[in-house]
Amino acid sequence: MSRRASAPACFLRGLGLSLARPYLALSLWLIQLLVASVVILPMSNTLHEQLDHSPAADRMVATPDFGWWETFRRTHPDVLGSFPELAAGLLSAEGAKRSDIQGLRGVGAVTLSLAMLAAVLHAFALGGILGALREPSASLVIFCREGMRRFPAFLAFTLAAAAGALAAYRWIYVGTGKALTARVQELDSEPQAMALTAARLLLLLLVLAAIKLLSDSVRAIWVARPDLPPVSRFFAGLAAALSRPGRLLGVLLLYASITAGLYLLWLFLDPSAGGEARFALVPLILTQQVFVFLRLLVKVGYYAGVSEALTRMPSPEYSYVPAAPPARGSAAPGTADEPLLDRPAGRI
Amino acid sequence: MLRVHAGIALLALAGGAWTSPAGAAELTPPIASYQISCRLDPDRKTVEGTELLTWTNRTRVTADSLQFHLYLNAFRNTLSSFWRSTGGARDPLPESWGSIEITRMSLADGTDLLPGLRYIAPDDGNPHDRTVAEVPLPRPVAPGETLHVAIDFRSRLPRVSNRSGYKGDFFFVAQWFPKVGVLEDSGWNCHQYDARTEFFSDFGNYDVTIDVPANFRGKVGATGVRVEERDAPGGRVLYRFRQESVHDFAWTADPDYRVHRDVFREPGAPEVELFLFLQPEHAGQEVRHFRAAKAGLSGYGRVLGPYPYRTLTLVDPAWGARGAGGMEYPTLITCGTSWIAPGSVQSPESVTIHEFGHQYFYGLLASNEFEEPWLDEGFNNYMQARVLASAYGPNTPALSVFGYRVSLGIPIHHPLDSNRRYFTGPTADVMAVPSFRYRDRASFALNAYNKTALTMATLERLMGTRQMDRSLRLYADRWRFRHPKTGDWIQAVQDATKQDWRWFFDRTFFSSGIVDYAVAEAKSAKARAPRGLFESGGKLTERPPPDLAPASGYDSVVTVTRQGDVPLPVEVVLRFEGGRTHRSAWDGEARWKRFRVDRGPRLIEALVDPDEKILLDVDRTNNGRRVEADPRAAARWTARSLFWMQNILDFLTVAW
Repeated sequence: MSRRASAPACFLRGLGLSLARPYLALSLWLIQLLVASVVILPMSNTLHEQLDHSPAADRMVATPDFGWWETFRRTHPDVLGSFPELAAGLLSAEGAKRSDIQGLRGVGAVTLSLAMLAAVLHAFALGGILGALREPSASLVIFCREGMRRFPAFLAFTLAAAAGALAAYRWIYVGTGKALTARVQELDSEPQAMALTAARLLLLLLVLAAIKLLSDSVRAIWVARPDLPPVSRFFAGLAAALSRPGRLLGVLLLYASITAGLYLLWLFLDPSAGGEARFALVPLILTQQVFVFLRLLVKVGYYAGVSEALTRMPSPEYSYVPAAPPARGSAAPGTADEPLLDRPAGRI
Repeated sequence: MLRVHAGIALLALAGGAWTSPAGAAELTPPIASYQISCRLDPDRKTVEGTELLTWTNRTRVTADSLQFHLYLNAFRNTLSSFWRSTGGARDPLPESWGSIEITRMSLADGTDLLPGLRYIAPDDGNPHDRTVAEVPLPRPVAPGETLHVAIDFRSRLPRVSNRSGYKGDFFFVAQWFPKVGVLEDSGWNCHQYDARTEFFSDFGNYDVTIDVPANFRGKVGATGVRVEERDAPGGRVLYRFRQESVHDFAWTADPDYRVHRDVFREPGAPEVELFLFLQPEHAGQEVRHFRAAKAGLSGYGRVLGPYPYRTLTLVDPAWGARGAGGMEYPTLITCGTSWIAPGSVQSPESVTIHEFGHQYFYGLLASNEFEEPWLDEGFNNYMQARVLASAYGPNTPALSVFGYRVSLGIPIHHPLDSNRRYFTGPTADVMAVPSFRYRDRASFALNAYNKTALTMATLERLMGTRQMDRSLRLYADRWRFRHPKTGDWIQAVQDATKQDWRWFFDRTFFSSGIVDYAVAEAKSAKARAPRGLFESGGKLTERPPPDLAPASGYDSVVTVTRQGDVPLPVEVVLRFEGGRTHRSAWDGEARWKRFRVDRGPRLIEALVDPDEKILLDVDRTNNGRRVEADPRAAARWTARSLFWMQNILDFLTVAW
């Protein structure tokens, strides 16, 4: 029986699954915390060295001191290098320059390296999330097991999607920016030039969304259809995304909107500002981490929502329950990473 | 005096005699006056004109030739010194080629000067550069003698990339006519057009008639006062502008302009009529432009004397012609704004005030921008920050998000802080060198603009605002309508303050050294009773005298160091428990100075230059030290860093 759930319904169901398995978001939170911690110690030591005996420390507790940061950045180029330029370049109409990556130093360079490590761990985590979501009663152990089982394939998808995203940025956003430089100057007014930039940005976002949805769809089907050979699973994933683009895009937009809303709420409430009287250090850190955890709950909800959007039959159809050994002589096909223990999952 | 050529006499007659419009008058004896009649061809992007130059030799030497600036030839091709001096930093836009050709040049007696015209390159010897031309005279012009030269010229305007040109139907016509150089006692001062440099010319009176198609009706702005508007045959319209006692003339035309008018009135200052030629997409920003212009008129006028002209024209260049923005001409400035312009960022206010400020530092105090750019740009940056701070208060930096300007909401303490970018390259050059001798454009900007502004502000803080204002006023009064040099400014400071400030200028204007003071050490420990052998009743005993015996108070030590090359006088403040402070002056000459306080209250912190007088100090983060560590700020920023690092990593991974 076909189930045609709407995008909000899929997303809400995904959120429900995420809330029912909070250890998934917890795992993601732990992974990100550990990865981020790598740069925090040198950053903390530098900040303590610079600020602890500084008379500027008083005013720096509550609000950023633009002059102090500007001086710090200039007098310690080894800490960040061209990281601020890279960030500004990513937000510019022209796009980031390669020279800004080459100019990264210290924390700035390590952050980029950590992002690569985080992407690898993300591939592992996605395998765990999608696998555990299909278990009737899952646990952290199942999360790790499922993550490891699908790690090679998911890492390949992640790297391919990352390459696609970078290529899209380079060839769509930066490339069109360069190609249109002279034409932009010929436009009649600044609003027209801004509209053109907005169009370039929109095109980039659409392509990035397509890459993301395709890769997420492939991942979801990869988990849902272990009965198919890898190539078939891959193409079935692509086909699944192409057959339900509206629903998938709806789930993605809901995820993006809720995440943006959370960030706006954070910036509006601004618990980081206001001095020690407003939020002492420990409550501040707790608040920050609760925020990150909430965001990750939504993120897990998104992946569950995508899985829901691609699944016709009610889940769970797939469970990691050891099946009866196949009859001797029966040649049930297995795949490289899906042993014969796996039973076919739901149909798509 | 040479006889006026008949044709020129006719031209002069047609243009009217040099009578000033009501209320206007010559403010200084003219040296180079121009009567120009020109015609704009918007399709061919050309301006053809006839010019009558009336030039008086006010030097002590005889002139046997004339030298002319032909600025638009900088855009003739990439072999010009202008394009070479860009260092390949910018690619020419399509259709960016421009030129100026002289088709006739004759004296009043009919002598044809054109055959003798040759191009010279006094700065770099570039044989392909045609921005300076020399014309030998049939007989020398003696001191005090006046010469009339008639010139026909054809200017082809470039696509706007630097200051002048066109974009569609927008025209900004500057550096557009053959302009005589400045004759000094040492000879002609007529530099080539270099991308880093600006201009230098003599004062005179301008009477310019501009012939444009009728679709530009009411949309022509120019230097000076518009004295006539009349229809001309062929569906065209003529505008005539006049201005006495200025040293350049620029004009603009664009059918899309929205023209606004306002009047500046302030007790004790002459009324000034303001015109704003605004692009349609910036509608609604006229109030901000006018408010900024008025702030400039008031702020600069109070310190440097009233603005002496009747009009001020503000021009908002078209999109795609921003190269014409942020530029100054006598009584006309180009501003620059954005479609989205948050008020807290103070743009277009800052650029409007800055360009208006050039009406003083360039306009009235007509220093040689080519040779001493700090006298106009740096002095003006300093005054601009003062005016901006008093009229608007602190501003906030902006971030460009895909071309949209977003205020970061972080207050910058003072508009002068934008000059801190000098610290990114403080040792590249000595500040006071000619524009074309700076290592590159970045060093030019850091020194001529930023370091000069910080130096002036430091000087103000060392001598006091009152003395600084007195110096500026004396300088402005002495050199109004003349060509001051750096030495004249220094002399004005000496005379106004009755003090010798040469040491300061030697260490700042004429140095590439940096200033950096730091508190290297600040300690305070409980005083201990002295131990050892002490005299008591003529004998040595291990018991300390009663007045020293009790260990009371704290022994504090502070070491202040000079880490930079340049010594400047600084103050050192020690703050103790109970609110007590100890302030002492240090001439800053030695590499370090140690301060000891025995048995005093407990030291809280030590500060060098606590009032932030030395704005040239390249690193203020080391200007103070607390005795007790306070880890709160570092801990909170660490927590923030962790939080945002988690979010960045998540963003970077969620995309794929």
